[in-house]
Amino acid sequence: MVRRVLALPTGRLAVGVLSVIALLAILGPTLAPHNPLGTSALTLTGPSWKHWLGTDYLGRDVFSRLLAGSRTSVLGSVEVALIALAVGVVPGILSVYLGRGFEWFTLRIADTLLALPFLIYAVAVTALLGNGIPQAMFTVGVLVSPLFYRVTRAATLAVARSQYVEAALISGASIGWIARRHVWGKVLPPVAVALAQTIGVGFVVVSSLSFLGIGVQPPAPTWGGLLASDLGYLSYQPWAPIVPALLIMATVWGSNLLADAIRDVSGEAGRALLNSRRARARRLNPAEPIPAGGAAR
Amino acid sequence: MTSARHLPSARRTRHGAVLGVLVALAALVLSACGSGSGAGTAAAGGGGGKSTTLKWASSFFPTHWDPVVGGSGAQFRILALPYAALTKTDAKGNAVPDLAESWSYNSAGDEVTFHLRPKLTFSDGTPVNAAAVKNAIDRAKSQKNSALFGDLTSIKSVSTAGDLDVVVHLTQVDHQIPLLLGERVLQIASPKAAADPAKLDQNPVGAGPFVVTQLIPGTKVVLKKNPNYWDAKNIHIDNVQLVSAPDKSTVVSGLQTGVYNFADLAPSQAKAAKAAGLDVFVQPGFNASNISLNINKAPFNNPKVVDAVRYATNSQEFVDKLTFGYGKPTNQPFPSGYVAYDPKSANLYPYDPAKAKQLLEQAGIKPGQIKLDLVIMADDPAAEIVQSQLAAVGITVTIKIDKTWATPFFAKDLTLSLYGTTGRDSAVQTLTAHFGPNGPLNLSSPYEPDGFEAAIAKVRQTPLDAPDYPQVLQAATRAGLQSKALVFTYSSPNLFAKNKSISALPANPAHIDWTGVTIGD
Repeated sequence: MVRRVLALPTGRLAVGVLSVIALLAILGPTLAPHNPLGTSALTLTGPSWKHWLGTDYLGRDVFSRLLAGSRTSVLGSVEVALIALAVGVVPGILSVYLGRGFEWFTLRIADTLLALPFLIYAVAVTALLGNGIPQAMFTVGVLVSPLFYRVTRAATLAVARSQYVEAALISGASIGWIARRHVWGKVLPPVAVALAQTIGVGFVVVSSLSFLGIGVQPPAPTWGGLLASDLGYLSYQPWAPIVPALLIMATVWGSNLLADAIRDVSGEAGRALLNSRRARARRLNPAEPIPAGGAAR
Repeated sequence: MTSARHLPSARRTRHGAVLGVLVALAALVLSACGSGSGAGTAAAGGGGGKSTTLKWASSFFPTHWDPVVGGSGAQFRILALPYAALTKTDAKGNAVPDLAESWSYNSAGDEVTFHLRPKLTFSDGTPVNAAAVKNAIDRAKSQKNSALFGDLTSIKSVSTAGDLDVVVHLTQVDHQIPLLLGERVLQIASPKAAADPAKLDQNPVGAGPFVVTQLIPGTKVVLKKNPNYWDAKNIHIDNVQLVSAPDKSTVVSGLQTGVYNFADLAPSQAKAAKAAGLDVFVQPGFNASNISLNINKAPFNNPKVVDAVRYATNSQEFVDKLTFGYGKPTNQPFPSGYVAYDPKSANLYPYDPAKAKQLLEQAGIKPGQIKLDLVIMADDPAAEIVQSQLAAVGITVTIKIDKTWATPFFAKDLTLSLYGTTGRDSAVQTLTAHFGPNGPLNLSSPYEPDGFEAAIAKVRQTPLDAPDYPQVLQAATRAGLQSKALVFTYSSPNLFAKNKSISALPANPAHIDWTGVTIGD
């Protein structure tokens, strides 16, 4: 799958953007040239050699704060995606196999969760569970899990009703074996698409919440928080919101591109797409030796 | 007391911002619809000329419209639209007649008689008489949810003498009463409407310059000029539309596009407002921000730790980073230059982080050993400054934003917090609010600094025009400043922006008075 995604330019671009963001999240706090919380008398200054992106309203280095803030933002979005995955996928598969009672029950729960506006609900839950990104992201993760539930269920249904699975059942295969052998391979690609997309959604949510001042306590930097505080000083630094906004956009865009790339290359249609591209490349590049039997790939 | 927002910095939180933008949009639509009907009202009202509308965006939109419940915080400026009081203040901060034409003390100084103007009515037609004033004072003293009773401890009882004379009997000699019973503390509601305080809280009925025609709680209030106000000839504004201000960064664009023509302004927005061609001005006032400490809780039960915080606080940094050239440092509950400001205490506890560290060391406290929560009502850069200044002397502070901040703060359950005042007309009231045993700004109740009570009693006994009044008052400030419960930081400005078509406002300190103000084209 990874190799197929990388075969597409969009896939390479998406992976490239997301790798840079991931590196920022891992190394950002150590790369920061200044203490992200260290105030100084130089407030709201423009970019300079010492402060690449200027300083904020308390004289803190904005570049360092962006770097230090990347971890919270990225971890938050990954948390949303993983919680949604864990909460959604297993009931999604089981809903097909565990009988009508379980199916009806989980479907109604999924409907209920879909009906709740997750951003507002996350705000409410932080009031109950305490003001923290993990609490807020846990809530959002649970609330977006119906996406995974439905995607998994749809894929599983298609497999479960297919003739070869019925044949396997008649031959005495266990449900567990079928799930591992047949269901998993069919379910994985749509789940991967949903996962990449949810990372993007989670990123928007975590940025929105930190923009609203929820989930993080000052002075901890986050991209959304930086964006929000920059808006208060537009007459001094009109360019300041651009950098955090670009970072947020790039991350979400990267996640969506990745989701697109995975969708394009998965399943029979994906294989066909890759083959046609390969064929076209060969036509345009007749000098290149034709691989024998295609085994090289 | 939950609604007592005393400071401009006590602004709406950011998720209010989203709501605020929606409100602004709604206001835009409403004002578009409203302009037609406004013109109609003017035509009906007669008098020729165009109808003028004040479109005011305020960060202090009242949560309560019963003045007894609202308390004497900054929203009194808005409640002063529908309500009048016995007195108001002039540009020097002296009490001048409002509903009361004049007043007189008895020779002992423990009884004051207010003489009301004749033939006045509340907007519901009830007469403004002695009984109505007595009702207002009694309600402020005894209503269950009154936020004012603590300010009225000098008042023993009220009686009426004839229809228009109100006699206020005092528990002690107190020459502050005319200042006290002004717009901050005793806005007078119609006794008929006040018979149901819960209803009054939603439908204000007073004898002020304007009458409420529509009130959407927490969002918007529409008022029209009150033709029966005693000074109606000097009110030149026909209509008022007041909305709760959205996020501070959107106020200027609202003013620029004409959604509002008057708004209070965060200092950070002053530059943008000026660039937009708006009239940016500072109304004189008594603002002072503080760090509130609770000496009934560790670690502030150790006087050395309190002193360390005092020496660790650098007022100038607050001024430099928060007020954009409009504020000034203060170590007292009012700005320097005010009559109660004590010049002899100007250098009490100067910024000296080395001394702060030394004091902590003497107390046997290692750097980083003290870990505190700084609980505040809304995101505020001042909290980050306090955090960094205390961190510099080895006190670790975690900022906690608590939307229900008012409850633990006024229950005196917090250890460390931030608050501030927009002042009181009576300097004695400012002092007792901060240093008195039950002062709303005293986080360490029932603590009171030694000698403060006696010093305050002496001020009350001194007539305001006595030559030694400033000295006596400043001595009381000096006694109050011994309080270990408060570290004062800076005085933020009463900053406003208005459309240039609105004429200058009377410079009554800490008030917003529309008398004589005109709105041109």
